[in-house]
Amino acid sequence: MEETKFIFSGGLAFSEERDMMKLSAYAKKGWALESFAPLGYKLRRSDPQNIIYSIDYQKGADDEYFEFFEAAEWKHVCSIGNEIHVFSAPEGTKPIYSDKSTEIEKYEREKKQMGKSALAFLIFTVLFILLKVMSLTGWLPRAAGIISLILGIVSLIILVFSGLPYLAYQYRLSQLRKL
Amino acid sequence: MPRNDSLEMGELTDTSFYILLSLVDAKHGYLIMKSIESMTDNRLSIGPASMYTSIKKLLSAGLIQLLKDEDEKRKTYVATEKGIQLLRKDVERRREMVRHAEEILKNRGV
Repeated sequence: MEETKFIFSGGLAFSEERDMMKLSAYAKKGWALESFAPLGYKLRRSDPQNIIYSIDYQKGADDEYFEFFEAAEWKHVCSIGNEIHVFSAPEGTKPIYSDKSTEIEKYEREKKQMGKSALAFLIFTVLFILLKVMSLTGWLPRAAGIISLILGIVSLIILVFSGLPYLAYQYRLSQLRKL
Repeated sequence: MPRNDSLEMGELTDTSFYILLSLVDAKHGYLIMKSIESMTDNRLSIGPASMYTSIKKLLSAGLIQLLKDEDEKRKTYVATEKGIQLLRKDVERRREMVRHAEEILKNRGV
């Protein structure tokens, strides 16, 4: 019998709550979250449990950070790069964010980071397209044009994968600020 | 910086208000949550992520400070003079709010 299982993430910027609910549903069926995996989560067979999951972003989290969660009965499950952290707790435990202004900061931090990388790759994309155009007009050798085109496409892909989350966080923040 | 940052406007959110209040006497970080819960009869319980974010913020605004103490594993915080001053100002602001409400409600005979 399989001992581990992989499930896809919907992309944290877009479906954080849905992802956490999905993990909780799997835990009920006896599949507990073990760790992050590329593009998703790795689950391990366990006893069925009624638990909820929460995710937080905190760069360089220290002992105190995890102590606060422990004191509130949130168990640390896994992290990526000491920045994205998942916690679990019995159903009915009070949420990890108790007020809006600190929750807004959580997404502000992420939005800022995504925005920085989106801006950088927007500049790269434009730059490489310019170089490609210059090679077409004969200002640059053909080989330089081909390399620019490839680098331009790579930058564009990274731009999309940071630009879309940026917009998603922007939308989420505007919803949070509404009231 | 977030647009609705109340700290920069010189106002405390309920969370910061209670953290600062419980740090008039120095406390270990994890005890702040407990003391706020008992102070408010469990009406307000601050989530761990909100707690961590608020502590960092109060620290960087110079409203609380880290105490150097023997127990190096657990951090101890205490409100600074600036923090106490802001707390006093905020108590005044809140007193005003209550006074306004009481006046209006009294006039309506509620």
